Amino acid sequence: MRSSAGLRLLREHASGRSPAARRLAAWSALEAVPVFASGLLLATAIDQGFLPRKPLVGLAWLAVLAVLYALGALGTRQVYPSLAALVEPLRDSLITDVVTASLRRMIDDEPSGGAGVSQVTEQVEAVRALLATAIRNMRQLLSAGVAALLGLVLLSPLLALVITVFVLLGAAVFAAFLHIQIGRYRAVIRHAEDIGETAAAVVQGVRDVVVCAAEDRAAQAVAGAIDAQAEALRAFARSRLLRLPVLTLGVHVPLLALLAMSPWLIAHHHLTAGQAAGGVSYLITALQPAFVVLVDAGGTLLLSLAVVLGRLAEVCARPAGAPEAKVTIVPTSHDVAAEHVTFAYSPHAEPVFTDLSLRIAAGAHLAVVGPSGVGKSTLASLLTGHLEPQKGDIRLGGVRLARVGAERLRRTITLIPQEAYVFAATLRENLVYLRPQATTADLERAVDAVGLRETVDRLGGYDAEIPPGGGPLSQGERQLITLVRAHLSAAAVVILDEATCHLHPAAEARAERALAARGGTLIVIAHRISSAQRADQVLLIDGPRPMLGTHETLLRHSPLYAELVGHWRS
Amino acid sequence: MATTRRRRTLPVPRRRTSAALSAPGGGPTGGPTGGPTGGSAHRPSHGLAYLTGSQDASNALRVQGGRLLRTVAGRSRAMMSLLAALTLARVVASLITPVMLAVAIDAGQDGAGLPAALAGLAAVLTVAALADAGEDLVGSYCGSRMTAWLRHRLVGRVLALGVPGQRRFPTGDVLSRLTESAAAPATFPILLLSGTAAVLTTAGAVIALATIDWLLALTLAVGMAPAVVLLRVFVVKASEPFARYQRCQAAIATRMLDARLGVRTIRAGGTAAREVGRILAPLPDLHQAGLRTWAAQRQVSWRLSLLAPLLQILVLSIAGVRLATGDITTGQLVAASSYTAMALGSASLFDTLVALLNCQVGAGRVGEILGTAPAVVPPARPAPLPDGPGHLRLRDVTVRMGDRTVLDHLDLTVPAGTSVAVVGASGTGKSVLVSLAGRLLDPDAGRIELDGVPIDTLALPELRRTVAYAFERPALLGATLHDMIAYARPEATRAEVREAARVASADDFVRALPSGYDTAPADAPMSGGELQRLGLARAALSAARVVVLDDATSSLDTATELRVTQALQRVLTGRTCLVVAHRPATAARADLVAWLDGGRLRALAPHTRLWPDPDYRAIFTPAPTSTPRPGRG
Repeated sequence: MRSSAGLRLLREHASGRSPAARRLAAWSALEAVPVFASGLLLATAIDQGFLPRKPLVGLAWLAVLAVLYALGALGTRQVYPSLAALVEPLRDSLITDVVTASLRRMIDDEPSGGAGVSQVTEQVEAVRALLATAIRNMRQLLSAGVAALLGLVLLSPLLALVITVFVLLGAAVFAAFLHIQIGRYRAVIRHAEDIGETAAAVVQGVRDVVVCAAEDRAAQAVAGAIDAQAEALRAFARSRLLRLPVLTLGVHVPLLALLAMSPWLIAHHHLTAGQAAGGVSYLITALQPAFVVLVDAGGTLLLSLAVVLGRLAEVCARPAGAPEAKVTIVPTSHDVAAEHVTFAYSPHAEPVFTDLSLRIAAGAHLAVVGPSGVGKSTLASLLTGHLEPQKGDIRLGGVRLARVGAERLRRTITLIPQEAYVFAATLRENLVYLRPQATTADLERAVDAVGLRETVDRLGGYDAEIPPGGGPLSQGERQLITLVRAHLSAAAVVILDEATCHLHPAAEARAERALAARGGTLIVIAHRISSAQRADQVLLIDGPRPMLGTHETLLRHSPLYAELVGHWRS
Repeated sequence: MATTRRRRTLPVPRRRTSAALSAPGGGPTGGPTGGPTGGSAHRPSHGLAYLTGSQDASNALRVQGGRLLRTVAGRSRAMMSLLAALTLARVVASLITPVMLAVAIDAGQDGAGLPAALAGLAAVLTVAALADAGEDLVGSYCGSRMTAWLRHRLVGRVLALGVPGQRRFPTGDVLSRLTESAAAPATFPILLLSGTAAVLTTAGAVIALATIDWLLALTLAVGMAPAVVLLRVFVVKASEPFARYQRCQAAIATRMLDARLGVRTIRAGGTAAREVGRILAPLPDLHQAGLRTWAAQRQVSWRLSLLAPLLQILVLSIAGVRLATGDITTGQLVAASSYTAMALGSASLFDTLVALLNCQVGAGRVGEILGTAPAVVPPARPAPLPDGPGHLRLRDVTVRMGDRTVLDHLDLTVPAGTSVAVVGASGTGKSVLVSLAGRLLDPDAGRIELDGVPIDTLALPELRRTVAYAFERPALLGATLHDMIAYARPEATRAEVREAARVASADDFVRALPSGYDTAPADAPMSGGELQRLGLARAALSAARVVVLDDATSSLDTATELRVTQALQRVLTGRTCLVVAHRPATAARADLVAWLDGGRLRALAPHTRLWPDPDYRAIFTPAPTSTPRPGRG
């Protein structure tokens, strides 16, 4: 089932490449001409030239063969551009799809179908390499094998018939047992992955393993996977013993049959001495190598291709999710409200929120405080519509988030998470991420307000290139970049989810004030309690029923809040 | 065969130099699997790079790899001998085959002695085929065993290298050595023998050719020279586009990884479409580089597809003339053609050579880890640990890292049942100091005593049951959260584990997870504070006399830190505690503060007594605009 999905994926991306495929076939045919002619010409050279002691005639026939080989080399030369025209665009379209799908999966929190994000590009590359190898090998197998059989037909139809029967018999035996080989090869791949997975946990956690004195147990876990893979390799090797009967039938028996039949054929003038030699030459130089490729590499090559394609098909598969509501409603205000919201991560889990109601008026500045793990980030995910409550609604301007429409929702509510996303591009591109049309003047204002000036100067202006992974930027600088981003955005509601945790308290205060002053709603999921002191309203979460108030009222009414404030000051 | 390179280890189909009759490479368009147009060409291996330069850097690695390969091969001497015998049988049978073939062809013309000739041919063919199949099987058994042995040793050594090892070999590096590098030696026995077989076959074929007619051998020898030159030229020319191709590929992968780290931002910004464009920005370059790799392969491929058959025709022409003069028979002419093909098959020797280099490099990378000394050496005859309250004493301890002295003749006594906060500017060796107590690291000089017993005389498992650690980010070990908490005490009951979690304030959030304590750690969406409390639960479950908290609360928000601190106090009741402190509040809660400065103990006193000292207060003052946290974040 998985391989058929892979096949479908391949077909999808290969469509429109038929001109290149046709060219490839045409040049391959030219490439096969000398193979086809080789035995015939050799036979003629021997029969009409060398045996009757007319060496010049024989040499002339061989010269014809040489010319044909030159033509064949021209074919080989032309095959490559066609191959590139077939394989390279396929890789382009496949990688585009796979990257798009992986990104969507990451965003939807879906598992990436067995492949790590970093692996998908490698797997696309594997498809390209395997496909190119498969095309070249199979092409050669077909052209050389078919050409040789055709040549044999011209030499002696009877011989060709006998040989074809045995070759087909060999191929049939191979095909009949191929599924065993494929199954075992698949097991090898699976076990190799197991090694990587079990080892990753242990190697990453070596410090914990050591302090728990659990070295033996940890090693045992990996050892199981290692031994299983070694056994899978051996089982695969055993299944390859099938080569023996297959090669005997497909290669050795035809040769022996030809030689055994030749005296009778020669005696009855169905064959000449030269033709017998030509026939042997076909078998040895064309048919045998082609058959060996089929048996040695054919199965595993196609299987590897099928396995990798199957993985990518899983990644690219679209889930049958609920379609986006077509009719969207424009919210009349930017008030955000939670109405009797109950949310749990699964039916068995204890709910994070029970019957939570909350109203955040447009333009408000709210701080959310509470120990981590009580659902502060969950609240952020609910307010941005990424999570949906089991009961109750989240509304924007009175409209349920689902009816607002994803696009408008993203434009209206912006979330800046704790992990600052800085990417490989110019500093400017990083800053205008949420408002691509921002002018330099807009940039300058935001940079000065949030406090990124020093960094901009240090990097040498807005056109400085940020390397992948953020390079030399400190964690604090990265967060400041995302805060400038939020300041520039046109969103009416900005949510900071511990987005200032790497900033010094003074820098944090400046950035928060700048964001509050920019107009619009600011919701700060606080890293430090000092964020609460700056806010108009404070939501204290400690359990499924949060408490809303101001800094002063909470100080008076919540012992936990008072303790938090006191603790910070100590 | 090219496949995905990381994480997956696919068995490499064998490249054989001669299968009974002719050799790949002798075929009309170059070898189907051998030769530069085959498998390895579009995925230049590390070995290829070694042939084109950059030799010096890796010579040591290869020498080390060669040594390790010899050791490993030496362990399966019997199998290797069997393998060698099989290879020899195959080579000899292959070399005899054309002779038998010639006899059979000639016998077919006059009809005399054909059955005998056919029987002889069938016999050599059978011997060659059997030897070939045997080689494959024995080689796989041998190779899989070698790889498994290397992997077992590698895992064992990585665990023995412990915490200092992590600094030297990062996780990704170790994993690539385990899955990839350790797999390379599996092909070593077969490669080695097939390389030898290729040389023998070529030499044998040329000699056999000479016995038919010396002129044939001469023609072949002269003609092969340009082919060899051509291959060299290809390797040099081809590596540049391949290298560029891989760079573009890596650029895409890196951008993809960036995007993964920023997934919440992308989700919230609805910018996925733009991200795709950004990730794929290097694609046009990749396309161009890809076209150039094909162009490079094309250059060598068409030349080779011309050169090899032409050489064969040349030999055939000479053989034809000798046939005309009656010096050789028709059968011998066919045999000559067959020997030429065999000799040309040595082109695949080049591939074998590259693959062998890869084996060496792979083994060398494994050897590098195996050759690294373990972090600590367990005592030969462990001393018993008497009951005691957990009195910890460091005497005249010196630790060097590279050429830097981290701890310099340091003395510290931690009285039983007290908590001591270790403070100091970053880089003063706080973590190093606390890792000495559980022998995660041994000092270069000095000794550490626990309740009067030098800790290096204790059995390591006993020591580590006695000294428990809790880290800021405990590793996600074990199949479930229950296992994770009970990792040091696998025999603990569910009730015990739950009680420990309750003490560490972890019970509530664990029960809110989809499958509670049976949730797989990787599936549990946990914040830093939650994860940390799981680590504390693990410490709470242990019966340790000494608990060490490294970097325990530095990155927590205020509210969580309060929770963790409360949990901590419950966990620590009645135990000796060493805690690395980054905040004044943490230091204030400890009974004593050990103030490290310049590798020495500057003071050991309560926080309140030290606080008036401006130098002391300066330790806790954060950097002006940000607090960069190398290695975390």
